[in-house]
Parts: sequence; structure tokens; C-alpha cells
Amino acid sequence: MAPELAEAAPPTVDLANCAREPIHIPGAVQPHGALLVLGEPGLEVMQASENTAALFGVAAGDLVGGPVAALLGDDGTGQVREALARADPTASNPLRLTVAGSGWDGIVSRTDGGALLELEPAAEGDPRSVAALYARVRGALARLQGARTLAELCEAVAEETRAITGLDRVMVYRFDAEWNGEVVAEARTPEIDSFLGLHFPASDIPAQARELYRRNWLRLIADAGYTPSPIVPAMNPGTGAPLDLSASTLRSVSPVHLEYLRNMGVGASMSVSLLRGGELWGLVACHHASPRYVSYEARTACEFLGQAFSVQLGAVGEGEDRAYDLHVASVGALLLDRAAADEDWVRALTRGTPSLADLAGARGAAVVSGGECSSVGETPSGPQILALAAWLAERDAEVFHTEHLAREFPPAAEYAAVASGVLATAVSRRRGDYLLWFRPEVVRTVEWAGNPEKAVREGGAPPAGAEEHAAPVPTLHPRRSFEAWSQTVSGRSVPWKASEIRGAAELRGRIVELVLRRADELARLNAELARSNDELDAFAYIVSHDLKEPLRGIGTFSRMLLDDHGEHLGTEGRDEVDTLIRLSARMNGMLDSLLLYSRAGKLELRLVETDLGELVGEVLDTLRTRVERSRAEVRIPRPLPTVWCDPVRAGSVYQNLIANALKYNDKPDPWVEIGWLDPERAGEPATLYVRDNGIGIARRQWDAVFRIFKRLHGRDKFGGGSGAGLTIARKLVERHGGRIWLESESGRGTTFYFTLEPGA
Amino acid sequence: MLTPPSGAPILVVEDSDEDFQALTWAMRKLKLTRQVVRCSDGAEAIDYLRRAGPYSGAAQPGLVLLDLNLLSMDGCEILAEIKGDPALALTPVVVWTTSANPADVERCYRSGANSYVLKPMDTDEFLHEVNMLTRYWFDVVMLPSSASE
Repeated sequence: MAPELAEAAPPTVDLANCAREPIHIPGAVQPHGALLVLGEPGLEVMQASENTAALFGVAAGDLVGGPVAALLGDDGTGQVREALARADPTASNPLRLTVAGSGWDGIVSRTDGGALLELEPAAEGDPRSVAALYARVRGALARLQGARTLAELCEAVAEETRAITGLDRVMVYRFDAEWNGEVVAEARTPEIDSFLGLHFPASDIPAQARELYRRNWLRLIADAGYTPSPIVPAMNPGTGAPLDLSASTLRSVSPVHLEYLRNMGVGASMSVSLLRGGELWGLVACHHASPRYVSYEARTACEFLGQAFSVQLGAVGEGEDRAYDLHVASVGALLLDRAAADEDWVRALTRGTPSLADLAGARGAAVVSGGECSSVGETPSGPQILALAAWLAERDAEVFHTEHLAREFPPAAEYAAVASGVLATAVSRRRGDYLLWFRPEVVRTVEWAGNPEKAVREGGAPPAGAEEHAAPVPTLHPRRSFEAWSQTVSGRSVPWKASEIRGAAELRGRIVELVLRRADELARLNAELARSNDELDAFAYIVSHDLKEPLRGIGTFSRMLLDDHGEHLGTEGRDEVDTLIRLSARMNGMLDSLLLYSRAGKLELRLVETDLGELVGEVLDTLRTRVERSRAEVRIPRPLPTVWCDPVRAGSVYQNLIANALKYNDKPDPWVEIGWLDPERAGEPATLYVRDNGIGIARRQWDAVFRIFKRLHGRDKFGGGSGAGLTIARKLVERHGGRIWLESESGRGTTFYFTLEPGA
Repeated sequence: MLTPPSGAPILVVEDSDEDFQALTWAMRKLKLTRQVVRCSDGAEAIDYLRRAGPYSGAAQPGLVLLDLNLLSMDGCEILAEIKGDPALALTPVVVWTTSANPADVERCYRSGANSYVLKPMDTDEFLHEVNMLTRYWFDVVMLPSSASE
């Protein structure tokens, strides 16, 4: 201890110094009992606390070196010897001893310096109170075992401990990951203040204290205002070092702690360790307004409850973990079902309940896919999320989580209020597609139980019981004031639970599978479609070609009939044969259209940069006669763009559409407009259109117009036609990877829109 | 101008009875007297041209009208065989068929077709074509002397 502090320049005083205070070798005990260190096997007194004089009328110095029997008598010494002979000496505690005519509890243990015998005032020897205690403990145990949630468990242990000890305030402290503490349960008399919900800093229970508490499960300070009774002699004769009092119940505590208690207005305190998995989980911390001694039996009962708590903690914790795991899994399954049922999985995840955010107990969530962001709940803005996703992609992490995003990604500080915590999983790292969950800043209004900056008093006398130092050094002193201190912890969220992270990773895996399956399915469908289209085209070609043969024969033979035997048929007969000839000519026209259609599907496209303006000019030239005959005005509002397409096929499309526009028009001032729309996004193809003020097409017939041979009007109206023109036009457009569609109002006019390049 | 002997027949290689009937009707209607000889398939046609087997006494045709879809062989193969045989190559062969497929057209010309004519659907056009073909190949065109006997 001394070498650390005796430096040339006074060391900077901070909480770290306090943490190094060696509380396990205080060299003194609390004066309500006495401590003897006995040598073995002779049981001679090697060390004794000074207060033996006050308690037993024998000076410690007189006891040291002599047999313990001088104090305990033969009977007592025998009990001690027997206890020490056992494998676990503490199994015999408490020993019923008589010292200086009074009853004392003897507590035996071993330490590095020898056997330890602590003498505490004996409890009232009423057997009924012991039985009552036992009954109470049994009831408390049942209650702890019946607790189904952590809250129930903590409340149970607080209330039962209070019932056993009668202490004014019993709290359950729980430590967080950084060893700050929170009062999560409390049982108290109504007259005193509640400390429930209080937070205190890690420095309040420094590391060496926590380590001690992990090994020794119960501490009692019977009177916070006590004057420590030093151990005489200070050094243990056997080890030559201060006595290790870790296991001692009378151990004198840090003066820092005592001042803390006094400042809190506490007269006595007791604490029981609560462990989980061998580590300190929290404490049952008790305060009493005035000094109070808690008997060995009662303390043992409380320690027992603490152990029962620790056992139950595992079960309850697991139960709560499992329940939460199930909840996360069920939310995940529901989300996945929705995504599988919807062709747009992004929309499925961000709409509906449960929402994506519910999977991870988040306030908001988002999906980044294909450079776009869809979000639900409370999240940063779209551009902010995209920037975050881009940064994540650089880090190349499959699963990422943090409670303090701004620390790792400084630009996130601007939205720390809504997203201090982020959980993210990559659906496609290459494409930068992510699922993200957001947690807001937990503005933790922490009521510190005092100013965490401990005041420093320079040059003061070292606390009683501590070693003399070579030079006055700054000693830490406890906080002087207990004002509630709000400290906002900014930029942090509630940490992500393991089940939430797992749930996110699981969902990611299933979504990736889904997307891949869909891509495969799509590829398969496309391949099948291509194949069946090819087959259809080949079929159409063969059929129309072969069908022409006999058709021609029908036409020829009808003519032969007419020519050779017409005069025998009569006028009606001749008309009927004429009809025969006409019908076969019509069928021939349809076969020609079919041939054209199938050829449209088979021929290779020759794609070149095509000036559509020039192309349309040529087409209009071809249609010049029809244009003039219809007396239609041809409008081209602005120059047509240059696109990548097959000019011959594109020309066919225009020819078809313009011819139709001219044909299906009953207005006195017919016009045809040929133009194009600017693409909505860069890189998208221009949408071309041919518009007219013609007869229009009723909405219910819009699908039918593209069907081959489907005519909307009588054969003799509007100049006839086989009804295959639009079908062929659509085929040609689709060969280019484009789309064709229409808008129209019956009686007002029609616009055919199409693209000649693949779009989004 | 030398007038080819009116005796040289037209060899029609045609597997469709109806089409052949239509041709003869057309010839009759047009009052064309030239003899028309028919072979129903390519093998027969080759035999005829070589004056093999039953055709040993056959007259050398002045024109061959060749349909493309024949039963046993593809008409273009017949064409190739005819044009590949020096003894037969000089005989004019006109591909007369319903197929307007540009691939077929090219193939036939490459194989040595003298010309390629589409059989029309319309009967009037059909009559017109028969007339034109007959007149062109027998009245306008000079046939090589080995084509005549």
C-alpha cells in the first residue's frame, strides 16, 4: 500500500486511488464483538482486538501469548478445538460460549494467519424465536421459488429479508455491465425516504470491494458511528503481515464507506451478495436509521435467502430469456411469412403488424435495398440511413450492433436522439442491402446518490486504523452532500439483448434465402418463357406456312369452278362461289399476319443508334397517301430522341401505330401527335408515344387490343385490317426489352406509349 | 431469233395433285399447247432428266418448274443435284413455290436456280404468272442448244 502512494509529487487524486484501498486488511474490527487469532494446534492467542478490555475486562495485550482457555474456559476451548478439527470449521458456527459470565456466539474460521475466533453478543436464547425464524425462512424460500419474473423475485427477497431482520430499508441493487448500480426493489418502513430507482456510480462500490463481496457473502456494520478497535499486535506473528480479514464478520470497513453511511443518515447497514454464475450480480443492501446488531442466526438466514435468490435467478433469468427468445422468434416467423407471401419483400417487412422494429424491441427499423430506403417507426431520415448503410458496407460486417453509434460513426451524432443504438444485418453486402433497427437515446436521468467527484482533503489525518504514512498524502474522502444529481448519459441507448441480435441475424438469413429463391424462380420462369415463346414462334411459322397450301388450292378450285361451270350455277350460285373465294382470301391475310408475327419473334434485332426523328419521317413518307387521304394534321411537338434500337422493327411499330391513329378517327379535324416523355430517373429509357383524337378505346377493351386477330369493330368499318397489327407491334417492342401500353378515353382519343429499351 | 422447237415440254416437279390440276387448268384456259410432264418427287425428276429407267425415251424438257416442299427430298437438294451434274446443268430450273422465306430464296439461287417465283394465292395472278413464265422461257429466252434435242 505505502509504496504506491509515497511518490515524490503528490499523486493526482481520483476515484482510482479509492479503488486501490486495501479493505481486506484494515487491521481493526468493529467494536461490537471481539476477534482472536489462534495458533494451531495449541490454540494460543496470537492476536486480539483491543476491545477485549471493554468487553471482557481483559486487556488484549494480556491475552496475547497465552492460551485461549484463559478467556473461554475448557469447555469453550474444547468446542473451538472440535470445530477446527472438522473439514469445514464454519459448519459448527455459532458456538455457544460463555465468556466473562455472559453468553457469546463464537464464529470460527481460518485465515492466512491462523484460526480466527470472533465473539459476538449471543442472541436471546428463546427457542421459539429460532423456530419462528425457521418457519419464516421456509415461507420465504417458497416465495422465492414461486417467483416467475425477475421483478417478483427481487421484491420477494427484499420483503422477506426485511421481515427476518426488521431493518428499516431493504433494497436490491443490480449492477449493469459497467458496474454502475440501480435500486430495482425496495422494502421499507413508510417513514423513511424511498431509494427505489436510484442509480449510483461504479465508484461507490469499487473493484476490490466487489471482489470481496464475491467471496464473502454477508457484511454487517452494526453501528456506523463506531470507533474501530485495532488488532494487537498489528502484524500477524506467523506471516509478519497484516491479517487478512476477508472472511471476518467483524472486519472494520473503509472509512470512506462509513462516512457515506453517516452522510446518508444510516445508523447500521448490512448487505448480502447476490451471485449469478459465480459473479456478483447485485446486492441485498439494508439500512437502519439507528445502530442495530443482527444476530448470527438472522444473518445466516439472510445469506441463505441470498443463495436461494441466486439459484432462482438462473431459472427466472433463463425463463425470461426463453420467453423473450420465443417472442423474438415468433415475430421473426410472422415477418418472414409476410415477406414470402408478398412479391415485394421490402414492403412486406415495413408495413403491417408486427412491424420489423418489433423483432428487436426497437423504436424504428428500416430496409435498405437497391439504393432505396423504406422505414417504419422512429428512424433517422432516408439520406441519413443510406449514408449509414454505405458506411456499414465499407466495414463489411454481416451483423453489427452498438449502443453508442456516434462513437463509431461520428456523423450519427446529429440523430443520436432517435438512433443512439443501431442493430444492422446485411442482406447483400455487395449491393449494400441492409436491415436496420434503431433505438433512441436513453436519456438516463440518473440520480446519483451524491456528487461522484469525491472531495479531496489534503494533509488531513489518515482515517483511524490505517497505516501510518511517511508523508501526508491526499486521502479520498466521501462525498459531503447527497443532493440528487442528474447526470444525463447522452448518445447511448438501452443495450441490445443477445436474443434480439440473434433474431436479427436469423431474419437476415431467411430473407437472403427468400431473395435467392425468388431470383432462381424468376430465372427459371424466364428461361421457360423464352423457350415456350420460341416454340410458339416456330409453331406459328410452320402452321401458317403449311396452312397456306390447301388454302391456295381452295381459292384456285373455287375459281376453276366459277370459270368452267359458272353458267350452270346461276346468279346465287356464282355469288356463293365468290364468297368462297373471298373467305379464303381473308384467311390468307390472317395467315400472312401470323407469319409476320412469328417472324417478328424470331428474327435477330440489329440494334443501332437511331434518330427517331428521321425514322418517323421515313414512316410518314411511306404513309403519305393515307395521311393525305385522312386529311390529318401530323404534330411533332419537339424533336424525337436518338435511341438504341432496330430501326426496321421500330419503324414497323411506328407505322402500325400511326396507321391506326389515322384509321380510327371520326373527327372533322383529325390529328396525330408523335412525341416522347422525359424519363423519370436518369438512366431510364424515354417513353415514346403516338397520340390521336380519334374514336378512343373503352377501358374494358384495353387488354383486348393487343390480342391477335381481335378486332374491336366490324370488318368493314374503319378500313378493315386483320387485327394483328398491334400484336405484332407489341411483339417488336418486347423484343427490344421495352413495354407498350395505352391510355384512352372513349370518344376523345387514344395514346399509345412504348419504350424501345429495357427499363427499371 | 431462233424459235425453240415447240416440242420441248415443261417438266413440273410437283407432289400436290391439286396444284398440278390447277396448272393444267391454267394452261388450258390460257390456250397454251406446250406439253407438260409431271414428276411427283425429286427422285423421279432426276431419273427423267437422266432418261434413266422408264424414262429412257423421254424428251428433254425446255424448263423445269420445281416445287420446294416435296415428299422425299427437299426441292433445293434436287436443284443442287441437277445443277451439279454437267449433263443436266444447262436445263433452266425455275423454283416455283409458296415459300417467301428469304433464306429459301437465297439458298436456291446459291444452288443455281435460274429464278425463283412465288406461287400466288390469287387465281388471276396465278393465271398471269403461268402465262408469263411460259412466254418468257419459251418465247423470249434463248435456250441452250443442248436443251433442245
